[in-house]
Amino acid sequence: MTEKRIPHTDLDGLLGRLRERGAVYAPARDDAGDVALTQAPLDDPMVLEYRNFRLSPKAFFLPQSQTLLTFCDGEAHEPSLPDGETFLVGVRPCDAKALLALDKVFLDGDPPDPYYARLRETTTVIALACTRPMSSCFCTSVGGGPGDGAGADVLAVGLEADLLLRAQTPKGEELLSSVADLLADATDDAVKEAEKRVGAAESLIAPVEVDNSAQRLRDGYDSPCWETASQTCLGCGTCSFLCPTCHCFDITDELRGTRGRRVRTWDCCAYPLFTLHGSGHNPRPSPKERWRQRIMHKFRYAVENLDRLFCVGCGRCIRNCPASMDLRTVLRELGA
Amino acid sequence: MTPSHEIEARLRETAEELLREKRVDLFLGYEKATLPFRTTPLFLTSPEEVERLAWNPFCTTNLAVYLPRLFKAPASAREAERAPPLPTVAVVLKGCDARSAIALVQERQVPREKLVLVGVACPGMVDVRKAERALGEHEALGAGEDALGNIHVVVEDGREVTLPREEIVADACLECRAPTPSLPDVLVGEPVEGKDPDGARRQTDEFASKTLDDRWAHLQDELSKCIRCNACRQACPMCYCKECLLDQTRPRWVGTSTDMSDVTIYHLVRAFHMAGRCTECGACARACSMGIDTRLLTRKLGQEVEDLYGYRSGESADVLPALSAFDMDDAQDFLTEP
Amino acid sequence: MSQTQTVQDAATDKGWEPRIATFLCNWCSYAGADLAGVSRIQYPHNIRIIRVPCSGRINPAFLLRALQNGADGVLVSGCHPGDCHYISGNLVARRKFALFKELLQYAGIEPERVQFTWVSASEGGRFAAVVEKVVEEVRKLGPNEKLVKTL
Ligand code: SF4
Ligand code: SF4
Ligand code: FES
Repeated sequence: MTEKRIPHTDLDGLLGRLRERGAVYAPARDDAGDVALTQAPLDDPMVLEYRNFRLSPKAFFLPQSQTLLTFCDGEAHEPSLPDGETFLVGVRPCDAKALLALDKVFLDGDPPDPYYARLRETTTVIALACTRPMSSCFCTSVGGGPGDGAGADVLAVGLEADLLLRAQTPKGEELLSSVADLLADATDDAVKEAEKRVGAAESLIAPVEVDNSAQRLRDGYDSPCWETASQTCLGCGTCSFLCPTCHCFDITDELRGTRGRRVRTWDCCAYPLFTLHGSGHNPRPSPKERWRQRIMHKFRYAVENLDRLFCVGCGRCIRNCPASMDLRTVLRELGA
Repeated sequence: MTPSHEIEARLRETAEELLREKRVDLFLGYEKATLPFRTTPLFLTSPEEVERLAWNPFCTTNLAVYLPRLFKAPASAREAERAPPLPTVAVVLKGCDARSAIALVQERQVPREKLVLVGVACPGMVDVRKAERALGEHEALGAGEDALGNIHVVVEDGREVTLPREEIVADACLECRAPTPSLPDVLVGEPVEGKDPDGARRQTDEFASKTLDDRWAHLQDELSKCIRCNACRQACPMCYCKECLLDQTRPRWVGTSTDMSDVTIYHLVRAFHMAGRCTECGACARACSMGIDTRLLTRKLGQEVEDLYGYRSGESADVLPALSAFDMDDAQDFLTEP
Repeated sequence: MSQTQTVQDAATDKGWEPRIATFLCNWCSYAGADLAGVSRIQYPHNIRIIRVPCSGRINPAFLLRALQNGADGVLVSGCHPGDCHYISGNLVARRKFALFKELLQYAGIEPERVQFTWVSASEGGRFAAVVEKVVEEVRKLGPNEKLVKTL
């Protein structure tokens, strides 16, 4: 595992080199003052001080709308898969980890999803460890942490004057060696400083009890808490659409005369339409069943079937729910 | 302005009394949420739990949104036989929320006699996003209100910050023309005046004065952020249709993609369906996680209905909604004459 | 050669002809269009007529859908106020239409793209004149690019 170091002042040089290879998305402030992954102009220095982005980076791998097929007069055409390289710089560890969950769904299946696979192949993720977690963060309870590099190709840790860069995958190794001339070796001091910073961040995160969640949720399937909890749910898709691991989609054919396209779009289990049968029957008829599904999927079914929690503790759903629901509350109540 | 803690105490008394005397089955109010600057709706059924009721500058949710589902008509005759009797519901409402509740009565979605409208004279609620933005990279650990109504925040490093209320109040609250609920059964708090009741007109006039193409460009720019999550629709108390046109699949009127044509039509349809029905509560704009100005179009339509038909929704339970009514002499200068 | 004819020819040279989705109520306007036909009154052939029971049946979503699917303009016509076969269908519709037109204009869509009128069963001439006017106005605007969805 290669460990390197780059002074903050040389970061723009590094981004410049990446730009020679492909599209680079780095944190930059938008008009509203929020920091977002942006294909920033060269003269803007990369922003290093931010909590996390409003949108998770999942759209880079599972675009919100994706044309799978176009057809015209009885003939179908598959659009060619993208082949340019993309670099995502500054992704938070929770969001990087979410890619491992998405991989389970889209790569481990038979056959794997070619669209996702290609985007995953052509995209390099450089994660940036968190130093200032938010009160909605609980990554440490769901198998991650502010300095966890799983899912990323390179993990960066911000130090006083440098970034410590640690390759996590062969793709990451290759990347670091391709820009070796910009990098210095990581010193012991740097490694220690990084450890200290990550440790300090970790200590700020309040734990949530999710051990053995699958079993507890199995037992709590008929608990009255679902009814109470879902009373406030408005049935919007904010939580799923912002969630880095929610991946349910819908496929529709859009037709005009004899031409059209087949398009895949994000979908969400909070919508009644999500499970509505052609017959008119709906197996999840009320917010209770729909909301339960969201929790069950993440903390039970995914564990049972894919051996992994489908929550990385980024807290987006908690911060952005229009009714201020908090899934931690229900997890606590069920003791899940 | 009545201090929040006094209002909170009155609300608890009211709820305790209504529930204890079994005059209502359910008391709908607010409870502190897990994060600062937020509250979450509280469905209270037992008088023992009234201490959970909260009133603070963060009671943003328009609770009228929960009413239609409590009075949903049974889907079939079979279901109707088994259906429990309709509940009696007390609900805490700010000025705009009270208009929504009355508008729902007007549209026969909820029976007036089953409601106890607990109105609160509203000093304007905090917009979470404005508040969080005002703190910059700091994060609030707790937030409350000081004697002047300004927002007192403790941030993560233990420092205390005071945010002037009018700087972080929601846009809809700044424009509000009737912060004191009309027609409540119980009114809590001293009546409050609107802050900038002409603000809404000013904004539409300003937007209308742009050229056609500039207006289009602005709208496209704004809507390009939309992720089609439906939160704007779901948070709206007036969006109660059993099957929304935007969800219909046979035929599918509006595509599901983020193609700008689909997104624009989504928003035109949503806005148009609010004409003469929107009660200007701003729930849609607050719900939008992408910060889209969802009220740009609804605001204009509300004014248009007022100008053309002299009607504002939710002002009286007995009036027919403007789009269900007509007058032989309605303006028709928009028609094409050869 | 009529003036319209000349304009049309000029436009054909450019290869673009406006297409106007035209919604006519069954009882007055459709009959009016029919009368224009049997009376051999000339009007531009750019309209595609869709017959609806009453102007009150028009859901503005129809009009948006037409524009999204590539219509360059939309024309809606019903009975004159007081003449609606269903008494007040057009009177309720009139409020919707007024607001819808205002909404589109406010949103930055050319008001000429969506037009409303009344034509009675005896007004073949009026029908032709309205169509002529609408087609001309839409032609001046050029193709609908704002709401159309490219598939
Ligand atoms: S459209 Fe928006 S402002 Fe109007 S009533 Fe609905 S949520 Fe409130
Ligand atoms: S809430 Fe915002 S992002 Fe969601 S559909 Fe409405 S406008 Fe779009
Ligand atoms: S029948 Fe012609 S408008 Fe109603």
